[in-house]
Amino acid sequence: MELAIETHGLSKNYGPVHAVDSIDLRVGRGEIYGFLGLNGAGKTTTIRALLGMIRPSVGSVRVLGQAVGPNGRGPWRNVGHMVERPSAYPELSVRENLEVARRLHGLSDRDAVSRVIERLGLTHDADRKAGALSTGNLQRLGLARALLHEPELVILDEPASGLDPAGVVEIRELLAGLARGKGVTVFMSSHILTEVDRLATRIGIIHKGRLIEELEAKQMEELRSRRLEIQARDLEAAQRALVQAGFAVKDGENALLLNEERAIDAPDEVATLLVNAGSPPTRLVVEQEDLEAYFLRLTGGKS
Amino acid sequence: MNAFFAALWAEALKAYRSRVIGLSVAVATILPLVDGMFMLILKNPDRAKQMGLIGAKAQLVAGTATWPNFYYVLVMTGIAAAILFDFLAMWTFGREFSDHTVKELLALPTPRGTIVAAKFVLLAVWTQALALWIFGLGLVIGNAVDIPGGSAHLNLISFGIFMSVAFLNLLLVPWVGYIASLGRGYLPSMSWIIFTLASAQLLQVMGWGEWYPWAVPALVATIAGPQGGSIGVHSLVVVLVACVTGLAATFAWWRSADQAR
Repeated sequence: MELAIETHGLSKNYGPVHAVDSIDLRVGRGEIYGFLGLNGAGKTTTIRALLGMIRPSVGSVRVLGQAVGPNGRGPWRNVGHMVERPSAYPELSVRENLEVARRLHGLSDRDAVSRVIERLGLTHDADRKAGALSTGNLQRLGLARALLHEPELVILDEPASGLDPAGVVEIRELLAGLARGKGVTVFMSSHILTEVDRLATRIGIIHKGRLIEELEAKQMEELRSRRLEIQARDLEAAQRALVQAGFAVKDGENALLLNEERAIDAPDEVATLLVNAGSPPTRLVVEQEDLEAYFLRLTGGKS
Repeated sequence: MNAFFAALWAEALKAYRSRVIGLSVAVATILPLVDGMFMLILKNPDRAKQMGLIGAKAQLVAGTATWPNFYYVLVMTGIAAAILFDFLAMWTFGREFSDHTVKELLALPTPRGTIVAAKFVLLAVWTQALALWIFGLGLVIGNAVDIPGGSAHLNLISFGIFMSVAFLNLLLVPWVGYIASLGRGYLPSMSWIIFTLASAQLLQVMGWGEWYPWAVPALVATIAGPQGGSIGVHSLVVVLVACVTGLAATFAWWRSADQAR
């Protein structure tokens, strides 16, 4: 697999604090890689290291096959980025901010600015000063700057942050289109887990500076735990009947939970059992853990 | 070279669109106006007495309304211009941190060193243009006030001293750029400006001014005064050393410091 991002033992220490600890990332070209982590987990530090903004304490970073080194060396002509909250020169208009970026990217195509303004839905605000933009439009400006030079790789920190629901869907479709249509690699961190769930082809979970889980979207489906949730008018009687039948029953919120495969695969048999025991179910549903619950379970957070 | 001009264009646009450029011109306009006002008061001593404090102050600084005195006051305003230059350097570098735009300048095909170079070149052009504006406007105001004792030779000598002071002040600007970068914003560099001003005064009083870079421009300015004077090569060397080390520190910091915020 040709790699867009490759890190070996990437670590960054600030005194005794291990912000990032021995991270080995391998992101293939054309992938949409979702990078998940709680606040302070090390997401932004990793992204800054990928962009050469901080020097790793230990380890190495390669982006698009080129070593990211000191003095800002890297394949930046082909990389677009947005780190943390978007920023812009407040006294310059949207168009002028992008014109500055175009020139600093050495882009000779003068129409690139107009194209990206249209693409990101900023046409009405093109001549508005960046300092007067809403948070959502400032986010769009940040994304426009990242995509202005049609990069092979985009590294985005919380790309959906500050956008309204329609904007979130729009950006999701834009990024998905770039990856599928043009083979652009997308590396994105997000706290909106459902966004990552819907968009990413691979997910990495970082916790306390360490990459604790990395999985394909398909693996994700398999790994998420499923359970059978049962509600009945007499929960105690239903529980007794299930225990007598050999099920390991867990208490849920006004419900009983069964995690065993024989229950999940045959809810009809469980229903028959309860009916025969005189405690017919009022609700019987196979539930699958969502990414958020899986993530919180993995990181030890509360679900 | 294209990358440098792209960076210079970007820096010029940022300055042009900001309020700072208007403010800097306003300050540069006030300096010769104040000088002209002093001369106007000194030309009419009776009126100066009626004006109380302002008149007394004007007499303290300049004595009588002559072109040599006018130029002396104008050159001494070069010290105020030094503060203006320092503030421009503080804004040029510090704003990237205050506006959080520095992270947009780090992972670009345009090298970081080129961006820093463009900032310094813009500062050089900006500050020296302001110096020319101050002197040119001073010349117009001096003629308008119609003060006696002028000559082409005096104009030329005064221009040379004034621009030398402005140039020496420019050579001290890189340290402000470095402190603004190191401190990631305006406040540390503002403290630096106050520190250099205060320490220059102190060391000049103690007799060590000629060895202290930040005291040298004021020493050069005194050449235009009634006592005249001269400046040793060693004083110019220490200013040059301060300039080179300030530039080197700023370039090194932008190239290799962690940008974790």
